[in-house]
Amino acid sequence: MEQRLANTWHMTINEKKFIESALSKNIRVDGRSPVDYRQLTIKFGREDGSSEVQLGETHVIGLVSGQIVQPYRDRPNEGTLAIFTEFSPMADPAFEPGRPGEFAIELGRLIDRGLRESRAVDMESLCIVAGKSVWAIRVDLHILDNGGNLIDTANIAALAALLTYRKPECTLGGENGQDVVVHDPEVREPLPLIIHHMPVAVTFAFFNEGDAMVIDPTHKEEAIMGGRMTATLNSNGDVCAVQKAGGDGVSLSVITHCLRLAALKAVDITSKIKNAVDSYNTARALRKVKRHNALVAPDITVPDSVMKGNQIGQLAEHQAQKFKEESTKTFDTETVVGIPKETVLFNKKNINFIRKDSDSFIGGPSNWDPYSQSIPPTFVRSSQIFPGSSTVDHKKEARTMLIESNSEETKSNNASSGLSRTSSMSQQRTTPKSLKDAVKPKSERKNRPSPASAAN
Amino acid sequence: MEVETSSSSTASLVDKAVVPGDIVLDLTSMSDQTIRLGAGLRQYSDVLSVVKAGKLKFKKPNKYWVESSQKRYAPSVEDTVLGIVVDARADNFLVDIKGPTLAFLPVLAFEGGTRRNIPKFEIGTLLYVRVVKANSCMNPELSCTDASGKAAEFGSLKEGYMFDTSTGLARMLLSSPTCPILEALGRKLSYEIAVGLNGRVWQKILVEKLMQRVQG
Repeated sequence: MEQRLANTWHMTINEKKFIESALSKNIRVDGRSPVDYRQLTIKFGREDGSSEVQLGETHVIGLVSGQIVQPYRDRPNEGTLAIFTEFSPMADPAFEPGRPGEFAIELGRLIDRGLRESRAVDMESLCIVAGKSVWAIRVDLHILDNGGNLIDTANIAALAALLTYRKPECTLGGENGQDVVVHDPEVREPLPLIIHHMPVAVTFAFFNEGDAMVIDPTHKEEAIMGGRMTATLNSNGDVCAVQKAGGDGVSLSVITHCLRLAALKAVDITSKIKNAVDSYNTARALRKVKRHNALVAPDITVPDSVMKGNQIGQLAEHQAQKFKEESTKTFDTETVVGIPKETVLFNKKNINFIRKDSDSFIGGPSNWDPYSQSIPPTFVRSSQIFPGSSTVDHKKEARTMLIESNSEETKSNNASSGLSRTSSMSQQRTTPKSLKDAVKPKSERKNRPSPASAAN
Repeated sequence: MEVETSSSSTASLVDKAVVPGDIVLDLTSMSDQTIRLGAGLRQYSDVLSVVKAGKLKFKKPNKYWVESSQKRYAPSVEDTVLGIVVDARADNFLVDIKGPTLAFLPVLAFEGGTRRNIPKFEIGTLLYVRVVKANSCMNPELSCTDASGKAAEFGSLKEGYMFDTSTGLARMLLSSPTCPILEALGRKLSYEIAVGLNGRVWQKILVEKLMQRVQG
């Protein structure tokens, strides 16, 4: 018992009085205003459905996994969702390994209620065969560091993980058509979950018998708070859950004030989560592009705006079609801006052209799609030679070069047929440094035919 | 710890960074000398070697020790530290001094302390105390008096704010001549400060004096 006392963190009376008197003047020890959140960072792992969220010093990892199980008898056509929390002792000396403590259970219950009661996750889409096989989604939340306000951080981690999780596609097969066939992610692209809205938890801490209130308490503030309330809202302002377990009493006006504040914070946090998930999805789509083994592509990190729905030519047929449809939507606007000198293509196929060791062009990527949206290398070269040239010229050059390239024997078998698409592909080019380095200067390229000289 | 040796080649390593395994003194060539070893040094038959990484320090006439900076504190005798009262027992208080174990502060270890006027410290009281006994096998013992039995500013610290630092920073704040940070702060504010060698610093800004300065 003494050893445990020696290892726990102790709060001094001096600190307690200091924080309380500062709060009575609306000052917080770390300099925030009482309604400010700490800095939020959302990162993702390599696997789908793994998120890492940091809110100030608090650090939580969320992992989503799925399993096919039998449904509950009273809900034969709905999947299940379960939240598990793991309070690692490395997060806080007060956390003990083994059975979850009271707060661990409360945290799990809170996040579960926010997701389930508000029907944020669509359960019926998780059904495979009614009454026999449904998806059981399991969310594991690992607390790595307790810097205060675990509830909000864990909730964001759960949301981010659920938004990026992909469940394998299943079809019914077998002799009687009743067997569930789960397709490998390499064969069929896994599907994201259907999430209708994002319930965001906002935690308030009360001090001085309900006189002072702060949002997102730190570890020290949590140690001396009188009471805590968590409101889970979505960006539409719908209240999904409210939890106030004991502690100091607060008046109704304070509660309504808190709910209004929570609505504002929910909008803010929802947009942050959405941005993070979007950039993850685009990076993921990039990774999915299949490359020819002979050529090693540089690792490319691409800014979001460029990557939305374009330049993913090398996927399986249905994916290429899907993206083509998207791209035609986005590229109908012919606002091709002048391409600065350093802009380079992202299309993986064309990187094959412009790489230093790509002299031989033995083959393009393994799935050759004759209708994919690629720009021939000649266009790329010209775009580099004419920095800032007008849009009209680019289009013309693109067309001439395309015609020329179509007539030549491109060893790389990437002749493009979509003229308008390719010209408009030139918009929104920004270059990660790695691609520019990958581009060979014109003088060094050997095997290229010289329609570019005409452009010179 | 006293060893009969003489100092010869150690001048090279004093005030330099040393790592465990470095040999500070070769004792075979020395005799009839007393050397005092502080923290981080150990005698292995006839060599003095370092067991803790840090900077080797020497104080005349014959004291050597290794200074290192970390978050955890290793209690050693005659250190002045800041402790937090964790529990009150019949004959001593349990005080946390950021060491591996809790320390005991006898209820009588105060100036003029008798069984009748035992101080009442709440749990969470911050104390400025002196380490009297420190062995690796026992809980350290503390005292709120100096060696001669006087109070000498030891005891509980009221108001103000406490924060944690590394042991190295605490030592720097206590170095002489006065640390420049403290002087610069003193030019702007009037304050009281207590620095514990266990990496705890307590500070209180004297607001009244500050208001006087601002108005005057």
